[in-house]
Amino acid sequence: MHFSARQTWLTPVLAYVAAALILAFLSHSLPRMLPGDFVTAMYGASDVTLTPEQAAGLRAQYQDDSGFTAFLGRIFCLDWGYSHAFLAPVSALFFDALPWTLVLMVTAHLLSSILGFVLGVEAAWRRGTRMEKAGVGIMTVLEGIPELCSGVLLLLVFALNLGWFPAAGAQTAYADHTFVQQVADRLHHLALPLITLVLAYFPGNFLLARAGMVMVMKSPFVLTARAKGLPPLRVRYAHAARNALLPLVTRLGLRFAFMITGALVVETLFSYPGLGTLLFNAIAMRDLPLIQGIVLAASIMVLGINLALEFVYILLDPRVAHAS
Amino acid sequence: MHLDAGHRIWTDPWFLTGASLLGLLFCLAVFGPVLTPWDPYDTSFIPLDPPSARHWLGINDGGMDIFAELMSGLRNTLVFGLTAAFAGLVLGSVTGLFAAWKGGWVDQILMRLADIVLAIPSVMILILLAAFFQPQPWVLALTLAALTWPTTARGIRAQAMTLKNRLHIQAARHMGGSSRYIIFRHLMPELFPLYLINFAAKLRMAVFMEASLAFLGLFDPSLKSLGLMISYALKYYYMDIWVHWLMPPVLLLSFLIMGTTFVTISLERVFDPRLKTAL
Repeated sequence: MHFSARQTWLTPVLAYVAAALILAFLSHSLPRMLPGDFVTAMYGASDVTLTPEQAAGLRAQYQDDSGFTAFLGRIFCLDWGYSHAFLAPVSALFFDALPWTLVLMVTAHLLSSILGFVLGVEAAWRRGTRMEKAGVGIMTVLEGIPELCSGVLLLLVFALNLGWFPAAGAQTAYADHTFVQQVADRLHHLALPLITLVLAYFPGNFLLARAGMVMVMKSPFVLTARAKGLPPLRVRYAHAARNALLPLVTRLGLRFAFMITGALVVETLFSYPGLGTLLFNAIAMRDLPLIQGIVLAASIMVLGINLALEFVYILLDPRVAHAS
Repeated sequence: MHLDAGHRIWTDPWFLTGASLLGLLFCLAVFGPVLTPWDPYDTSFIPLDPPSARHWLGINDGGMDIFAELMSGLRNTLVFGLTAAFAGLVLGSVTGLFAAWKGGWVDQILMRLADIVLAIPSVMILILLAAFFQPQPWVLALTLAALTWPTTARGIRAQAMTLKNRLHIQAARHMGGSSRYIIFRHLMPELFPLYLINFAAKLRMAVFMEASLAFLGLFDPSLKSLGLMISYALKYYYMDIWVHWLMPPVLLLSFLIMGTTFVTISLERVFDPRLKTAL
């Protein structure tokens, strides 16, 4: 089977479009398989008696009877339904929560990737020393502690017992802060959820970067670079470490779905006002349109990020594009 | 080569630690009901009673014995993990072997299907299903398996493809061995380490998922689960009962994930030919 350069990018794009369609179809059809409708669910067991006009009005307001193609169109128009728990449009709620999640997730990923990569490369360079062995040991243990557990421990120790960090929220409500104070306040609130996520993501990156680097360091070109008398830093980063990046990027895509689960838990744990907490509240209040909207929008964002990663991989490794 | 690896795995301290942790937890899950005379659903005790000789970890806010709850939760979490891991492993291995053996368009279709399923974030589907239908845990476990088989299928397929062209398989083929004979006698046994690695990795992921989703309130609240216990106990963080109520499920869950992580990492180091040099 011959793979041309065009096929290397066409295959992932097709797979991701198919995945997005399947997700959209499921979130369109699953709610329709439930018995009853909005009016029976909300007013069936209450003392309120609705006139037929009122019932029809409520159905028109909260219920969505459109077919699948119309549903797809509405996704693009950001018309994702109306949340009956928050009494607001789902898209408005989603975009209110999104920035907080993005700040948390992007910072956590950047910190844990850079830290994990640099420390992993350095550890592989010092392979066999006592420091390196201890580092690998600590990272393996950390890799075994889920966000749920490390988050609970951090919350108990640093927020509730020592009181160094706030236990909930993303900023002090109604505080009259200057801009600098506000940034400091938000960072203060961000610290614990961020540390929990970094502790969860960083060991995996470290172990992968180290394993990749150890293998790269066996290749002849590293020996050549050293024999040429290049400074160690240049050999390490300009020559060897770039090649150790590849497994890191591939595994990131695979681990992403589980990282999201962790982020949901961490946001809920620290009541951080992002998508995770919004989803948790939606689940607790059985607000089905909101759950549906968040799940679909978040999934499509994840698909977009994973697709982008595939292209980053092709860019990083030209061998993929020319593979036969 | 396998014998050597089998010897190496039993001398690897990470594997031994992980395996003993898991063994201990399995025993707790199996013999849990024997260890405690109390029923985890019995609400007839004094709520928030501190630990005593009768109730080792005290009583929760609903008047239930916390130790009995813990054993029942551990068992549910493990059963979910084992179901999802086993089903995912079987599905992935069969698909991977079939794709590798058949080759051609069957292989193409199965692997493109794997690409698509791999792209779908499995948490999202589980959240949708759990929120809309509140199914039994085993339904969710099988759904998780149906969404995570592609990683196994890819690994098994890649390894089976190289095996397929090895001399002894070629010889068996030329001597007239049927597909069934070769798959069952040669391909399947020789991929044995891959099953172990995949099973351990899937168990870790499934346990993590179960605890997280239960914590988020997506599982049947009447069933005990480590995640659900953490979520309930967290509401009383301001009282000192967190020592005997919140910490036990947190520690058990950590040990469970740690055990599977150690086993996975050590199996990968010993059996994965590409990583062999990395140790």
